[in-house]
This record gives sequence, C-alpha cells and structure tokens, in this order.
Amino acid sequence: MPTKHDFVQHNCDHYDGNRYDHLDKRKYGEEADICIVGAGAAGGVLAYELSQAGFKVVVIEAGPFWNPQTDFASDELSMHSLAWNDTRLVAGNNPLAMGHNNSGRGVGGGTVHFTGVFYRFHESDFQLRTMDGVADDWPITYKDLEPYYEKIEKDIAVSGPKHFPWGPFQGPYPYPEREPISANSELFRRGCEKLGIRSAVAPLAILSAPFDGRPPCINRGFCNQGCLPNAKFSTLIHYIPKAIGHGAEVLSDCMVTQVVVDKSGRVTGVTFIHDDKEYFQKAKITIISAFCIETPRLLLHSACPMFPNGLANSSGMVGKALMTHTGHDIYAKFHDEVRIYKGTPVMAVSQEFYETDKSRGFVKGYTLNAHGSRPLGLAKNLVSKADIWGEKLYDIMRDYNFYAQITMVGEVLPDNNNSVTLSNEKDEYGIPRPIITFSYGENDNKLIVHGVQKANEILEATGGKPAFVIPDTGHLMGTCRMGNNSSTSVVDGFCRSHDIPNLYICSAAVFVTSGGCNPTETVMAIAARTADYIIEEAKKDGQYGMRKTSSMT
Amino acid sequence: MQERTRYINYNVLKEKEHWDDHTREIVLKRLGPFIEYKFLSEHETKMILAIAEHIVYDERKEILLYVVHNLDNTLASPIGENQRKVGIPEHKILVRQGLKAVDKFAQKQYGVSFLEINKQQQLSVLTALSKGEAMQMEWQSIPQKELFKKLATEIVSAYYSHPTVWSEIGYGGPAYPRGYVRVETGLTDPWEAKRDANEA
Ligand SMILES: Cc1cc2nc3c(=O)[nH]c(=O)nc-3n(C[C@H](O)[C@H](O)[C@H](O)COP(=O)(O)OP(=O)(O)OC[C@H]3O[C@@H](n4cnc5c(N)ncnc54)[C@H](O)[C@@H]3O)c2cc1C
Ligand code: SF4
Repeated sequence: MPTKHDFVQHNCDHYDGNRYDHLDKRKYGEEADICIVGAGAAGGVLAYELSQAGFKVVVIEAGPFWNPQTDFASDELSMHSLAWNDTRLVAGNNPLAMGHNNSGRGVGGGTVHFTGVFYRFHESDFQLRTMDGVADDWPITYKDLEPYYEKIEKDIAVSGPKHFPWGPFQGPYPYPEREPISANSELFRRGCEKLGIRSAVAPLAILSAPFDGRPPCINRGFCNQGCLPNAKFSTLIHYIPKAIGHGAEVLSDCMVTQVVVDKSGRVTGVTFIHDDKEYFQKAKITIISAFCIETPRLLLHSACPMFPNGLANSSGMVGKALMTHTGHDIYAKFHDEVRIYKGTPVMAVSQEFYETDKSRGFVKGYTLNAHGSRPLGLAKNLVSKADIWGEKLYDIMRDYNFYAQITMVGEVLPDNNNSVTLSNEKDEYGIPRPIITFSYGENDNKLIVHGVQKANEILEATGGKPAFVIPDTGHLMGTCRMGNNSSTSVVDGFCRSHDIPNLYICSAAVFVTSGGCNPTETVMAIAARTADYIIEEAKKDGQYGMRKTSSMT
Repeated sequence: MQERTRYINYNVLKEKEHWDDHTREIVLKRLGPFIEYKFLSEHETKMILAIAEHIVYDERKEILLYVVHNLDNTLASPIGENQRKVGIPEHKILVRQGLKAVDKFAQKQYGVSFLEINKQQQLSVLTALSKGEAMQMEWQSIPQKELFKKLATEIVSAYYSHPTVWSEIGYGGPAYPRGYVRVETGLTDPWEAKRDANEA
C-alpha cells in the first residue's frame, strides 16, 4: 500500500505521485555524485545500492511515478499506458513489435508490467564462443554474478521450488513455491511427466507469503497490467522507495535528451526536458540505464566534435547486436475448460531443452513456460501476428476457455545487422526516431521449429489438439555489449564505458548473448555488481564526495 | 446456427460491485454514451463500422460503436504508435488515405463505393487487402497489408475489451480486490462463468 513514507518529503517526487513543483530547487541541483538515467530494473537496483552506500544519487526517469492503487486497473486495454508507446521505426525480415510486450516507461520501467518469471542464467550462457564456437564469451562468468543473484533473490523474496532441476543453482529459493498452480500449468506439468520431461514450478518475483509489508499473490492474473496488490516485485515498489529513503532523488516525467561531455572528454551530466522546459543535471558519474533502444539512441544522438560517431562508440558497436527472445506462443484445444485467464500467467516451466545438444542441428536452446493470456492479448496477437480474423477469430475466441498455452523463450544469437540506428524523422523533443532492424538467423529458425514441436508434444500428451502458433517475441537485449576488447565492445565487465571513464551503461543493453530464459534477474545482478564496483573504486581513490562513508560496509 | 456463447446465463457486469473503482470506471465507459468523434469524419466512421463487422464477425452496433470510438480516440491522441515499419505513413495518414483507397478500389471493382457493395463483396475486398492482393494504382502509396493490420488490430483490441464480449466467452473480467481462490483444473470460483447444462 502506498501509505505515507516520510522520507520522500525531501524529494521532488512523492511516492503518491505528487510532484513538488520546483525542479529549479532540486536536492542535488548543484551536482550529484551519480546520475542514473532510467528507473527500470537496472536503474532501480543501482539507485538503491549507491544511495545506501552514501552517494548523492539522482534518478531521471522519462515516464510517470505510478501509484499502483490509483493508476493501475484490471484491464488490458487501458494498461497499455505502462509501455513505452513512442513511435519507433522497424525494419528487417522480422520487424519487432514494440511497446507493451517489451518496453516499460515510468518509474519501475519494464518491471512494472513484467510477468515476474525470475531465472538465473546458466554457466554456459556466458561462454558461447568457448563452448559452441559461436557469438562471443562474456567478460564475466556465472561465478561473478552468483553472489548478486543470491542477494537479489533474498532482497525481494523470490518464491520457487525447493529443487530446481537445471543450471548451476538448484534451489531452494528464499520463499516457498507458489501453490496451488493454475490449470494451465497443471496440464503442462502432466504433459511433461507423460513424456519423461522434467518440469518445475516457476521461480517468481511474486510473493507466496507476506513480505516487507506486502501481501501474497491473489491470482488475479493481471501481472502484465501492473500488480494492484503489490504482490509482484517491481523496482517501483521495492528498490526505488528504499533508495529514496537513503536520500536518492527521483525526477519522473523527465526525458533525458543529451549526455553532455566537456573538453577533456568526460561526461559532465545530462540535459532533460520536463513540461517543455530544459534542465541540466550535473553529476560526477553518469549511468545510462535506459534499456536497449533508448540507450543507444541517446548515445548516438549525443555525438559531439570529440566523439562524432556518438558517445562510447569508438568500437562502432553502439546500437549493434540487438537481440530478442523467440517468444512463440503455442496453443492447443482441450475437451474441458482450462481458463487461461486465471492465476499468475506463468507457474510451471521446463528447461529440459536449454543446453546445446549437437544432435538437434542447432546450438543453445530454450525454456518452455506454461503461459496464461487474457482475451485482448490473445485476440490481438491472433490478428496482428498470425493473420487470423473474421469468422476464424470468432470461432477461436468463442472457445477461449478451452485453450492451453505454452510460450517458448528461445535464445537468439547476436548479429551485428540487428541494430538500432537513427532515422531522419524527429520526435517531439527533436531527437531522431530510432530504426530497429531485426531478422532471425538460421540457428534461431531451427531452434524455433524444435521448440514449437516440443510444446505441441507436451500439450498433446494430456489430450490437447494442437491448434495454432503465434510467432511472437519477448525481451530485448544488447546494443551496448560488454567485453574486454574495446574495439569490439562498448563497456567493460563492470559496465564502465571503454571510451569515457565516468560514463557507465547498465541495463539489458550490455548483454553479449541472450540466454535461453527470461533475463531480468541477470539485468539486476549485473546492476548490483556494477554498484559494488563503483563503491569499491570510490573507496580506492576517494575522489567521489560521499556523505556518509562510515555507513558503507 | 450455434449460440454466440456457451455461457448463456453469465453477465460479467453483475460482478462490477466487486471491482476496484478505477477499473469499474474504465470498463463502464465502454457502454457509452460516447463523446463526439475527434478525428474521423462521418463517412469514415461508417466505413470502419462496416469493416469492423467483418473483422470481428459481429454486427451488433452497441459494441461496434465503442470499437469505432476507441479507434477515433487512438487516432486523435498524441501518444505514439509503438512501432511503424520504415516507409509506412503515420497511422493518421495511413487510415485516412487508406479508407479513400478502399472506396476507390470498390468503385473500380463494383462500380460503387465500399458502403454500397454487399457484405460478400465487402468481405472479398477485405480479404484481398489482408493478402496484399488488391492490385490497383492507389495502393502504391498506401501499403494495403499494413492498412489492414492497423485497422484489424485496433478493432480487435477494443472489441475484446467490451464487457458483453467478455461475458460471451466466459472470461472472469476484472479481479481486484478479490482475485481467484480456485485456479486448479476443473475448479471455478462461485462468481465465474458456468456453462449451461445443455450446452454442447
Ligand atoms: C510484458 C512484459 C513481460 C515481461 N516478462 C518478464 C519476465 O517474466 N521475466 C523477466 O525476466 N523479464 C520479463 N520482461 C523483461 C523485463 O521487463 C526487462 O528485461 C527489464 O525491465 C529490463 O530492464 P532494464 O533496466 O534494462 O530496462 P527497463 O526496465 O525497461 O528500464 C528502462 C527505463 O529507462 C527509462 N528511459 C528510457 N529512455 C529514457 C530517457 N531518455 N530519459 C529518461 N528515462 C528513460 C524508461 O522509461 C524505463 O523506465 C518482461 C517485459 C515485458 C514488457
Ligand atoms: S497474479 Fe498475483 S502477482 Fe500477478 S498481478 Fe495478480 S496479484 Fe499481482
């Protein structure tokens, strides 16, 4: 519940969404230690860790400071407002659908309307070059992230099984697994069992019991519309309020339009626009956490005489190697009602086909998530992605309650042709609109065929009749990838840009490869590790004015 | 002819007292009355109404009027389009010019405008559009498949947000604050849609 939190009184922005109308009298108007652009998954974690360590942190977020109780509704159509709806130009053989299915806007970013499925990456995900001879290795390994995965799972009380059968972490999770699971997830597990495929209850950033003043999930099923009871984690309700409590300032409804560099080649801060007025925020360190499209767009658009190809772009890799996940939805029709509208959308999973198996003819693999859908989501995807309309659409929707669904989250390999570039068309801020180019590669296509077939086998095993497949995508990653070699990557393993020492880039944009599962826990673990690094560096050279060094542990 | 619904006695609106205020306000607005059109002309609204009948396979004006109003709202709003393919005109232009082109196409094919051809003919015009097979000069500046997809997506999104349609497909609708207690196979909460005993 968004009750009164006294600490936010010191802020331009209020937890209840009321703004103190004095952007000219900002808390850190003179200069902040750290300016974070974007209050999403990564930005929220960074703000929390860095403000707790005593830095003067300001977070600048383009969208609103939502109040779940008054801004969210149990309604699909109206809650499209949670997405980044600005027009983006798309191209390529498989142009991406943008907006509600992959981008958030507002404090909390994508976590406000994400599904809450919460996985760690596997060890193999960091070493594609070494293990499979494709793509690149990350400059970090699973071991580097392990303590941060663990910390985050505890911080937000992830619910999950006692034993998770795949990957390096096999449980137990801090909070018990969700119980009971939905009919759709039950069918999935039964189908898997018949075929000898292991399955598990999904690890979720959704409470199975009360935690931190928040109640457990009531199964209303609207996670993608923002969680009204606050049972689902988001940085909006967890890390950001805590960061504010540690002194961070959050400026919402403020669109950052430029990263400013001085003559010595260091970033001095950012300009942003609020209510048509431009402001400048000075900071010692700037961190861009604006996800995979706005990050490269901002860096490219901030080109200056010293960096004519855009900031942090000496490698030419800013905007390159954009990845998504194959998010194909596989449906089968059952004799009895399933009712996929009920319960948390994903409650059962299998990662049996996650790792490379050479006999399949492609590298890497995918996760299968039993997945619910509400009517608008299904009908809209049928018409826009599967070309089904008219009487056929009506027939399917009349029997909406009889379908079960599995969604695959399949690894897509990086390809420099999949990219974010600037167009000639400008938006209302005068910034060029991005062009997002995407085409699947050969490995991706083979992987999709395999995943769709497996999902259909699972559905058939419990009496479902395979009905239709909606070729969807989900999650974005890449465009500012990390690496040790400054000529082939944008940031180092701690998300510090190779070219500008006080510019960090930290969000899903730094992913080197996409992994075969939902990415947000990895985004957050990387952010927590980056925060630790910034804290350690500051301790070493003492150059950043910290208010309460003593509270650092 | 089969019944439109398997849930003859179910009306999701009967549950509206159990919804939170914000959601209730949003959903009830879909029943009308509707404010004046902000973007679409009278002729355009009629065309969209006719097109919507085919896209969602339903002729009920009380639902389709909401659909048209929702599209009008979208077109009038300054909020972006999420995505637009490179080379495709902005949606306001796409729809406006597109509807004109549909009329021209009907004129060439049948000698009268889209609203004057019969339902079967309308359906074949739309089918041709959806496949990109309506070969005429006017389509060189208006990408027909994109036009079809834009209209169809908007129409379908609004249609499946209408409470009458929710009732018919047996969808539980808004579920806050009470949520669902019985989510397992074969179980339903007392207020959820139940099929008629005789229903096939
Ligand atoms: C419908 C949906 C379901 C999902 N389900 C899952 C799931 O189940 N599990 C999972 O692991 N992941 C899921 N995801 C993905 C998840 O949301 C993202 O991986 C995650 O949010 C990425 O974090 P980020 O910090 O990189 O970016 P974001 O969380 O997107 O944050 C970026 C923030 O930057 C802000 N911003 C951008 N540009 C500017 C600017 N110029 N000035 C100021 N602010 C700016 C944006 O408004 C946004 O708030 C889902 C996403 C969606 C949309
Ligand atoms: S299903 Fe649970 S977590 Fe999802 S929105 Fe509803 S209460 Fe929140």
